[in-house]
Amino acid sequence: MMSVQTMQPGARETAAGGPRQRYFYPYADNGGTVVAIAGDDFVVVASDTRLSSGYSIYTRDQKKTFQLSERTILGSTGCWCDVLTMTKVLRARMQMYRHEHNKAMSTGAVAQLLSTMLYHKRFFPYYVSNVLAGLDENGKGIVYHYDPVGHHDPGKCYTGGSGGALIQPLLDNQINYKNQENVTPEPLTVKKTVSIIKDVFTSACERDIYTGDAVAIQVITKDGITEELFPLRRD
Amino acid sequence: MSILEYNGGAVIAMKGKDCVAIASDLRYGIRLHTHGTNFPKVFEMGPRLYLGLPGLLTDTQTVHERLKFRLNLFELRENRPVSPKTFGAMVSNFLYERRFGPYFVEPVVAGLDEDGKPYLNVMDLIGCETETDDFVVSGVCNEQMYGMCESLWEPDLEPADLFETIAQALINGFDRNAGTGWGAIVHVIEKDKVTTRTVKTRMD
Amino acid sequence: MFLTRSEYDRGVNTFSPEGRLFQVEYAIEAIKLGSTAIGIQTSEGVVLAVEKRVTSPLMEPTTLEKIVEIDKHIGCAVSGLIADSRTMIDRARVEAQNHWFLYNERMKVESVALAVSNLAIQFGDADAETAMSRPFGVAMLFGGIDENGAQLYHMDPSGTFVRYSAKAIGSGSEGAQQSLEETYHKSITLKEALKSALTILKQVMEEKLNASNVELATITPENNFQMYSKEQLETLIANI
Repeated sequence: MMSVQTMQPGARETAAGGPRQRYFYPYADNGGTVVAIAGDDFVVVASDTRLSSGYSIYTRDQKKTFQLSERTILGSTGCWCDVLTMTKVLRARMQMYRHEHNKAMSTGAVAQLLSTMLYHKRFFPYYVSNVLAGLDENGKGIVYHYDPVGHHDPGKCYTGGSGGALIQPLLDNQINYKNQENVTPEPLTVKKTVSIIKDVFTSACERDIYTGDAVAIQVITKDGITEELFPLRRD
Repeated sequence: MSILEYNGGAVIAMKGKDCVAIASDLRYGIRLHTHGTNFPKVFEMGPRLYLGLPGLLTDTQTVHERLKFRLNLFELRENRPVSPKTFGAMVSNFLYERRFGPYFVEPVVAGLDEDGKPYLNVMDLIGCETETDDFVVSGVCNEQMYGMCESLWEPDLEPADLFETIAQALINGFDRNAGTGWGAIVHVIEKDKVTTRTVKTRMD
Repeated sequence: MFLTRSEYDRGVNTFSPEGRLFQVEYAIEAIKLGSTAIGIQTSEGVVLAVEKRVTSPLMEPTTLEKIVEIDKHIGCAVSGLIADSRTMIDRARVEAQNHWFLYNERMKVESVALAVSNLAIQFGDADAETAMSRPFGVAMLFGGIDENGAQLYHMDPSGTFVRYSAKAIGSGSEGAQQSLEETYHKSITLKEALKSALTILKQVMEEKLNASNVELATITPENNFQMYSKEQLETLIANI
């Protein structure tokens, strides 16, 4: 897999002096994990800060969240060059919306726009895993999860990226009380949510080599956005 | 798709304080189609010795029977019960005999040894053993179960807590995987007894 | 009327030395030949009312359509060259649906007016990127509900669009606008607005007002865009 799925172009000889097959795999997987959890009047978005390729680490200091507005943050992982391009286009589209309609985009509008943008590249997709988090028109937290071609699903908590498979069942269990009997769900607080996020990242970086170094945690409330950096293991 | 994912299925095992637990899902399917919902992948091999065999289910059955054959022969010849560590070696050896045409199973050995100490062992399909002090997972939703275990497990759990922990780790893990689920079976092995429970889960 | 009419009223994109675009001004004049249309914005919703010129008893009045739905929450009344209005209505509808497709939200009334005004000024002699060889000879009233509440916008052939509390366009617009200014107040109810729209239409119409020569629609947060049926009109007319 590693030898063929590389961005380096190359050639395969089919016979001595015969035709050559050219190959180029246009995607890279740079790893990284994002998690977003919504509460009644807040939403927390977090990403790790490790950017890697294969067994090497590009940087230990690159968070994967993008603040799109006062009330919306996008978490995006996968092929980092696609992430950068996609967020750049998305920000431009949001600015155009602002000029055309004289208002900031709501989280729901950004969610739909992102889906449409992804689908428009249906046959050469952005190789990304997106989690969009924000406050809706009523100030309630909301999280959207995407596949690379624009399918999306609104919910309470989602995770994406290389550590997603490790974290999602935990969130189902701890946030949505899945497979728990005789419990009365208590409303989430920012403090509890942040502490769960620290726990799940600590767990994920035990087993996922593409997750680690630190986790950047952002909290959106009606009063604004706060950020915290929590160290993770660096091996 | 790997042949190891053809039938689906998951096995998990954990150490506790003077006890060990092992559990599996109950699904029997072919690719995305579920045929049966009562197919445990964990087998009793001795009074305090259990073997989990997730993977290609035809091999699960064959390997189970052939290992039972070898185990019976061992106990007849030696006139003593097998220890988990010895049984682990036996499984590993058995798998390596088919180094270039392997059985597609990734076994888990869980039990208490002659001193009542918990023993855990997981291996790949050609018998490379890994002994651990905490937990092991095997089968198609190992990523999900690893995530659960890393958060839920802690050292020296009592049998009741160990049951709750392993059941939650298995069930929440396999609910996020289409190839696993449809009920679970959990064995908690203690010095003087083994408690076996089937757990109701969502059936989809 | 125009003191220096000369060559400058021929080219649609040529300013006169006084800085005027005659063709656009003529287009605005064309509206004054059209049938009267009235829009009133209230806090409960918007009322749109138009007169229909039934020129022959053999004519089927229901096929004259001067109030149309742009989206569930926006309606539009037109006056002037109705054929021209079809193009603009179609653009408004496409823009409203496209906005929903892209953003999963209802388009603002102002944004619809902006989108249509972009079409209104796409006229000219050049072949490329023009929608029309001359200005559109139609004025429009967009009434709708959005996040800013009930909204009424007026747009003329120059593409200028302005928000109004109440606005009349078409042949009877001068008298009608005056009546609106007299009767309109900030706390007008939807019911009062309906009545006042019909009363004013009655005053400015040449024909006797009846259920088949007017069209009436309301846009409210509860019921969105709703056309009045002949029966509903009859009961309303009986009460004025």
